[in-house]
Amino acid sequence: MNPSLAQVLERSDIRRGDAFAVAPAPTLATGFARLDAELPGGGWPRGALTELLPEHEGIGELGLLLPMLAGLTAAGQTVVLIAPPHCAHAPAWAAAGIRLDCLRLVFPRQPRDALWAAVEALRCGGVAATLFWLDVLFRAQLPVNSLRRLQVAAGEGGGAAFFFRPARQAAAASPAPLRLQLQAAGRQLRVKLLKRRGPPARQPILLDVARPAGFVQSVNYAVAGAVLPDTTDIRRRSRVAA
Amino acid sequence: MDLPAQLAVAATPLAALWLARAGTDAVCPDLPATRAALAAVPIAALELAPPLARRIEGFGLRRLGDVLALPRASLGARLGKPFVIDLARALGEIADPQTCFVFPERFEQGLELPAPVEAAPVLLFAARRLIAALAGWLAARNAAVRAIECLIDHGHGVITAVPLAFSAPVHSASRIERVLKERLDALTLSAPALALRLCAREAEAREDRSHALFDGGGQRREALAELMDRLAARLGPQAVQGLACHADHRPELASRPGSEKPTLKASLPSVPPRPLWLVEPPEALRELHGRPQRAGPLALLAGPERIESGWWDGGDARRDYFIAVDSGQRWLWIFRDPRPPGGWFLHGWFA
Repeated sequence: MNPSLAQVLERSDIRRGDAFAVAPAPTLATGFARLDAELPGGGWPRGALTELLPEHEGIGELGLLLPMLAGLTAAGQTVVLIAPPHCAHAPAWAAAGIRLDCLRLVFPRQPRDALWAAVEALRCGGVAATLFWLDVLFRAQLPVNSLRRLQVAAGEGGGAAFFFRPARQAAAASPAPLRLQLQAAGRQLRVKLLKRRGPPARQPILLDVARPAGFVQSVNYAVAGAVLPDTTDIRRRSRVAA
Repeated sequence: MDLPAQLAVAATPLAALWLARAGTDAVCPDLPATRAALAAVPIAALELAPPLARRIEGFGLRRLGDVLALPRASLGARLGKPFVIDLARALGEIADPQTCFVFPERFEQGLELPAPVEAAPVLLFAARRLIAALAGWLAARNAAVRAIECLIDHGHGVITAVPLAFSAPVHSASRIERVLKERLDALTLSAPALALRLCAREAEAREDRSHALFDGGGQRREALAELMDRLAARLGPQAVQGLACHADHRPELASRPGSEKPTLKASLPSVPPRPLWLVEPPEALRELHGRPQRAGPLALLAGPERIESGWWDGGDARRDYFIAVDSGQRWLWIFRDPRPPGGWFLHGWFA
């Protein structure tokens, strides 16, 4: 090989197309070994924007982040949620192992306030992970330069940044170095790596995210002495899948 | 408030207090008159600690005169030194210096603007001088403030008050300035501003902690507190919330905006799975041939879980919850209301 070319390849900001980039900051383990193996640096990047594009809501898109969030909050680090799409149900978050006193929820009303809050939270060094949902407030018309602003802000703050976007944005260009498309696959979650700092991913990964298990019949009555619902009737009428 | 006042004048402060409690309108300008008046004061008016009062009563002493007639040295041995010292103070035998009431310090400084200002954000430039003065005032006292008020004077007695509240005591000029900037950016002035005034009441002692050399924990906490202050200043205090569990079976009440302090686990023991997102208010679902529909029929995976609660506070709920999956393989938490008119409702997403 040409010696001057070898010299250029040794630079940290030059990456060969068939190798993973060296992550600038230590990554956060995802809690899924198969996903860790496919991500540059072996985990969720810090100081860079990560785009998550779920096909629908309710397919386990948050379940993908729960092991990492539980680890961060257990260490006393703060996680900020900006413009969450629904009310967060505290018992479920606590059951997932997340320390609730490390969680902050921000509810901006105006689109530009939401973008401002996201940029400020990303830029703040005290926030370990920021999760935000902006497309609903912007009615899917996010200003063109906002993704660039978010990416720069994430680089300044050095925390993990997860931007939840609708799946139809998958084809749009984005400065985020990591983009994942999420699809439902039965009890599992199919993760398609649209973009990463590394060789293109060949096939999607199937992950066992946390899904609610069926519950035992004997414990599921909230009030002692209440009349039991007529389960046989409901089951017959609704044809419950076993 | 309906508070009565009782007046008494005596030669020593403690004697005046006892005479006032006894309800005598005594005016005793000198010590002999005070001693004479004290003899008639009942022991109950002294408001002694209950064991001491019971012992004195046990001796058969009803009035202070009975106590004063006894030899002081043996009184000290039986009732304790502090009581005898109090007696000596009341009689003027030893000095009883009083501490003066000191008004809490407050900062207030104003500034006349050289020309009327129409746009609120421009006021920040003038406010910077006042904030620097406040920061100096706080530094001299090693103090910090939780709340500041910025008053914008429009002339003719019209004043706009901009209160600033901080989640933690602040003392640095840059932090106060950044929070004020967010408030001024969102403010439209009703009339041109002529003067500016900055007030800080209730300065508190600054909490000093030693910083670790390598661990950035303290810095991270400060950066986070500043971020929360700025978010609350621009979006409103209700827009930034914590999350906490509340012991209630009804899902919509089991979660509430929490405080920042770590709370004890209030969650119910061994509850069946709960969704991370709650749809509030519940979304009504169509029913077709006895099956709930949401873009196609829903398949019920688990259930029912009956939640029946709240008959005592008017929020009576009786619901049968199911975990369901729709045609797009999304996981829903739905319930059926067994009471008429009934129907199916979507109440959460297992995200």
